[in-house]
Amino acid sequence: MSDADKSTRATPTAVKAPAAARPDDDAPPEELGRTTIGEGVVTKVAGLAAREVQGVHDLGGGTARAVSSVTQKVGLGDAFNQGVSVESGVKEAAVDLTLVIDYGESIPRVATAVRNQVIKRVEFITGLTVIEVNITVNDLYFPGDDESDEAARVA
Amino acid sequence: MTSDSELVASGRVRLAQLAGQVIARTEGVTPTTGPAGRWQTVGAQQRIAGVLAVEDVRGRVDLELHLVVRWPPQMSLEQLGELVRGRLRDSAGAAGMGARLGAVAVAFDDVLTEIESA
Repeated sequence: MSDADKSTRATPTAVKAPAAARPDDDAPPEELGRTTIGEGVVTKVAGLAAREVQGVHDLGGGTARAVSSVTQKVGLGDAFNQGVSVESGVKEAAVDLTLVIDYGESIPRVATAVRNQVIKRVEFITGLTVIEVNITVNDLYFPGDDESDEAARVA
Repeated sequence: MTSDSELVASGRVRLAQLAGQVIARTEGVTPTTGPAGRWQTVGAQQRIAGVLAVEDVRGRVDLELHLVVRWPPQMSLEQLGELVRGRLRDSAGAAGMGARLGAVAVAFDDVLTEIESA
């Protein structure tokens, strides 16, 4: 990596302005400004990408989903980050996902589709190279899982 | 005494206003003031959300734009940042303030889904 490249990377996902945008050809790129992408953005992109795949019911483990439902009610949580962990560097990112898959779907098919979709979205949107997407299938969702026992008693 | 209508924006505030206008007309992004509301420029009885403007001793104004991108973005964030930066340089040039515009940092702080924006 050249010194010029290093000078433009204050944050892991900072990218320098290209030469085409320079008002003055002598101006070093860092004088034109940087584009930075928050770590939370990469996490959210990965989470949203995973949810786009048919067969993914939700993300996160049982505890994470229970805590998330409470924190969201008080305006503290972001449901789209639940079940997603991203480690990002200067050029690369590694993604860990915990999924709940709809019962009846092929887990290998869904996992492969999620992996491909996350790589496609994260690489296109952030410019980072996704080196790995680790997927844990934590649970299966059965239709009717969301109905409470109390509701069943009074029916 | 100066009335409101007589208030003239400083170069710093004028450039922040131009940045606010560029953000407003750029598809797919909205400004964010951040969790504590600190990403904004106040001046000439206006608050320009998502824009921090700092003027140095030479009169050059560096801008920091804080943006939220709507899901799904139609281009990469790097391209989006360049688009905003380029439009702002054009606007500043057209307003005769191109020489005063310094670095324009663009930060993408969050992604906004349709559900969240509803």
